[in-house]
Amino acid sequence: MIQKEEITVIIPAYNEEPAIRSVIERVHACGYPNVLVVNDGSKDNTRTEALDAGATVISHPINRGAGAAAQTGIMYARKYGISHIIQIDADGQHYPEDIAKMAEQMKAIGSDIVIGSRWIERSEGVPTSRVAYNRLSNIFTNFFCKAKYTDSQSGMRLLNRKAIEKIDLHIDGFGYCSEMLVHAEEMHLKVSEVPIRVAYTDYSMSKGQDLQMGINTALNILWKIFFHPPNR
Amino acid sequence: MSVAIFQIIVPVIALFIIGGLIRRFYRSRASLEETIIGTLFWIAVIIFAIFPDYISNWIARLFGIKSNINAIIFFCIGLIFFFQYKLFFMIKKQQSDLTRLVRQLALNEDMQDVEHQKEEKE
Repeated sequence: MIQKEEITVIIPAYNEEPAIRSVIERVHACGYPNVLVVNDGSKDNTRTEALDAGATVISHPINRGAGAAAQTGIMYARKYGISHIIQIDADGQHYPEDIAKMAEQMKAIGSDIVIGSRWIERSEGVPTSRVAYNRLSNIFTNFFCKAKYTDSQSGMRLLNRKAIEKIDLHIDGFGYCSEMLVHAEEMHLKVSEVPIRVAYTDYSMSKGQDLQMGINTALNILWKIFFHPPNR
Repeated sequence: MSVAIFQIIVPVIALFIIGGLIRRFYRSRASLEETIIGTLFWIAVIIFAIFPDYISNWIARLFGIKSNINAIIFFCIGLIFFFQYKLFFMIKKQQSDLTRLVRQLALNEDMQDVEHQKEEKE
């Protein structure tokens, strides 16, 4: 069994002052003492709020995007020899209680990456626009993957040491979600999915991806696939 | 053979630009590659300005296009696409370099914080 102390919860955050404190407190309340906030050049008090809530904070001096922040978290874990990291969103849509379920699955079937899927068991109140956007993203991502993922855009991902060592993300924006899956398959990492719950609020809805970002994401993935061949 | 005004003005401007490129190279403000590519481009512009009909007809024959004017338009559009493509690559690379730099700064700052905390404890 993976101990809670072995898992570092990584939260990429950009202008998340209203939500970051409660997200960190919920994670701590679930028994995970190690929380790293990657403050992606926020212009508000995200950094102070996160520090006050007891998280470790590293800050990008300027905003570089969700993918860049995720990769910084991975580099941090690599540098300090952290055995497991789980990434969750800073807007409070994920339930830290689901981490245990993901860790169990990682141990049970020997996955290197466990994706928290919002669509295996669909939560109530998920907006139709989000469902449609995610379905399109899944079709696009699965076209370039061997496996068929139900939630290619999930921000909740558990990585073990092998994945931490091997994953290198080049896409700075939201396209990193798909890029990680494509890259994981190139690196022969075992990826699995576990159903998770999500809570969509007005706040989290204002933070997610929209159609324009989706088109950008698709172009970035194509760019990555054609111009960044894997270092096998 | 009559000489049009542009056949004088364009080569003169191009020669000034070539002179500027060479001066930049000698002041170490441009690389040899940039200077050579820039010089070749402006020499091509001079040749085209002096022999517009001959060059445009040659391009039309080369691409199998009947009208030399159409050939020049297609050729220029192709050139613009090429430069656009080059710029896109350059920007992508700079964005990627910038992200790596920002990440390194963040990680270094964290390391300094850790060392500072250690010193404070001691």
